[in-house]
Amino acid sequence: MGAARLKKNIIALAGVGIISFYLLIILVSLFWLPFDPVAMDTLHLLEPPSIKTGHLFGTDEFGRDILSRIMQGCSVSLIISLGATLLGAVIGTLMGIWAGFLGGKWDHLIMRVADILFSFPSLLLAIFVMGILGEKTYNVIFAIGIVYIPQFARVSRGAILTLKGNEFVKAAFSSGASKTYVLFRHLVPNIMMPLIVQVSLSLSVAILLESALSFLGMGIQPPYPSWGNMLSGARKFMLLAPWTAIYPGLAIVFLVLGFNLLGDGLRDLLDPRLRNVK
Amino acid sequence: MEEILLEVNNLRTVFDTEYGTVKAVDDISFTLRKGEVLGLVGESGCGKSVTNLSLLRLIPEPPGRISGGRILFKGKDLLVGDEEEVRLVRGGSIAMIFQDPMTSLNPLLKISLQIAEALQLHRGMGRKEALAKAAELLKAIGIPDAEARANDYPHQFSGGMRQRVMIAMAISCNPDILIADEPTTALDVTIQAQILELIKSLSGENTMSVIMITHDLGVVAGICDTICVMYAGKIVEKASVDDLFAQPLHPYTKGLLDSIPRIDAGSRKRLYSIPGSPPNLASLPPGCPFRPRCDKAMEICGREMPPETSLGDAPRSVRCWLYASGEGGLE
Repeated sequence: MGAARLKKNIIALAGVGIISFYLLIILVSLFWLPFDPVAMDTLHLLEPPSIKTGHLFGTDEFGRDILSRIMQGCSVSLIISLGATLLGAVIGTLMGIWAGFLGGKWDHLIMRVADILFSFPSLLLAIFVMGILGEKTYNVIFAIGIVYIPQFARVSRGAILTLKGNEFVKAAFSSGASKTYVLFRHLVPNIMMPLIVQVSLSLSVAILLESALSFLGMGIQPPYPSWGNMLSGARKFMLLAPWTAIYPGLAIVFLVLGFNLLGDGLRDLLDPRLRNVK
Repeated sequence: MEEILLEVNNLRTVFDTEYGTVKAVDDISFTLRKGEVLGLVGESGCGKSVTNLSLLRLIPEPPGRISGGRILFKGKDLLVGDEEEVRLVRGGSIAMIFQDPMTSLNPLLKISLQIAEALQLHRGMGRKEALAKAAELLKAIGIPDAEARANDYPHQFSGGMRQRVMIAMAISCNPDILIADEPTTALDVTIQAQILELIKSLSGENTMSVIMITHDLGVVAGICDTICVMYAGKIVEKASVDDLFAQPLHPYTKGLLDSIPRIDAGSRKRLYSIPGSPPNLASLPPGCPFRPRCDKAMEICGREMPPETSLGDAPRSVRCWLYASGEGGLE
C-alpha cells in the first residue's frame, strides 16, 4: 500500500528521484571518475567548463577537475549528513521520549543536559568537539551529531508532552494498557511527524555545517574533496572563475532540496489526515 | 434490591502542590448497585473527575496520592494489590469514557484497531476475531454502514460518532461498571440526547452499572437513579433522583436547582445564581466549605464540618447542620 500511495505523491517522488540520482553518482564514482580528483595539473588552472578539454565543470586553482571532485565528494557529504543526523536523532529522540514520558526528575536532568549543549552556538560546539576528537572524517559525524542531540530531544519531548494531555492516552490507560504499550503504540507513532520534519532539516543543515567546518579547516582535510572545502577553496576565485563555486553549490542545493522534498512527502504519507487531500 | 457492586468508603485523594496539600476528594463514601445509574453532580473543580480517576487508580503520582479509604469492587479492595491487578480491572470490569471525543481517539489508527485493542488485551482474542467483534460493536452502537466505516480513521468521523466509538470501546469487554466523565459536554444538544439514550439502553440491556459525572442537572434527571451532589471534594447530599428534585435538602442543592432556567418562570424574572465562588481547595476554611455562600449559615457552620446525616430511606443523606442537630429535619 505504501508504494501505491508513494506514486500518487509527486513531492515525495521527486525527493526520491533526486536522492536516487545522488546515490547513482556515488555508485559510479566508486568505479569510474572522469579525472583523478586529487591530481594537480598546472597547465590547466582555473579553466572554464568545456567539452573540448573534457573538464565539463571546469578546473580549480590547482587544475583539478571539478566534476570529479564533486562526484568524489558526494559520498563524503552524504555519509556525514546521514551519519550525523542518525546519531543525533537516535540519541536525542530517546532522551526526549524518556524525559517527556517519565517527567519529574528525569525530565529535569535530561533537559538541563540538553540545555547546556544547546547553549553553545552549533558551529562553536562542533569546532570544540572536533578539537577534542581530532580532524578525522568520521569525527565530523560525531561533532555534528552532538550538535543535533538537544534539538531532537526538545522536539520529541515537546511532542510527547502535548500527546500525553490527549484523551486517547488517558483512554488507553483506562482500558488497561501498560505503559510500554501506550508508549510504543500511541505515543511514538504520533511524534513521527515533527521528527521527520526535523530529520529532513537536519540532513540539509549537516551538509552546510560540514561545509563550514571544512571552510574553517577543521572538517574534511584537503586534498581530499568535500563540497564544503571545495566552496571554501573557491572563495578566493569566485569572481574570476565562478564555476569553481557554482557547481559544488548546486550539488548542495539539489541534495538539500531532495531531502526536504522527501521529508515533506513522507510526513504527508504517514498522516492519515493528509493522505487523501488533493 | 440488587447486590452491591462497588463500595467506596471514606476515599481521600490529595495533591501535593507548592501551595500546600489540595484535598481534591475528601472523605467520600457511596455504593453502586448492579444496574444502577449513579450521577455525580457538582461544579468544575469539585472533585468529580478525581473521584473517578481514583477508582481506577489513574491519579498521576506524584503530585497526586490516594491518602485513605477503601474501594471495594465485588468485595476486593482496589487500593491494595499491585499495579498489574488494577490494570486488568481497567477496561475489563470497569471502563471509562471521556469528555472530549475530538482527542480521545488516536489519529493514526483505524477505528476498528482501536476498538479491538481492549478485546485483545482482556479477552485474549486474536486479531481477526477482535476486528470482527469491533465491527459488530460499531453496528450495535448505531454507526451506519459499520463494516465499511470500521476501516476509517478518526478524522473521518464526527464528534457524536467518535463519542459512540468511545462507548463501543468501553463496552467491548462487557464491563460491570461504565464510568462516563461528562460524556455529552462537548456535543451539541441533539447528539447529547442520542448519546444519553444509548448509554441508558446499554445499561438496561447488559445490567451494566453507570457512574455519570456531569454538571448538567438535565442529564441527571433523564438518566440517573441515584445522585450524589459534590461540593469542594465532599458529597454534600445523596438521594434518589425523584427525592432530589422533589425535595432538595442541602442549601447548595437548592441553589443548583434554582439556577436552572425554567420555561414557566416568566420572562421578567432574573435567573438565580449562587453568590460567591467555590473555595480554594488548598486553604479550606474550618467548618462547612459552603458556609461563605450559604444563606442559612449558622454559628456552628464556621466551626465544625457537619457529619453525614441519614434521613429517611437509604441512600438519602445530607451533610448540613440544618439537619444534623435534629432542629431542621424534613419539613
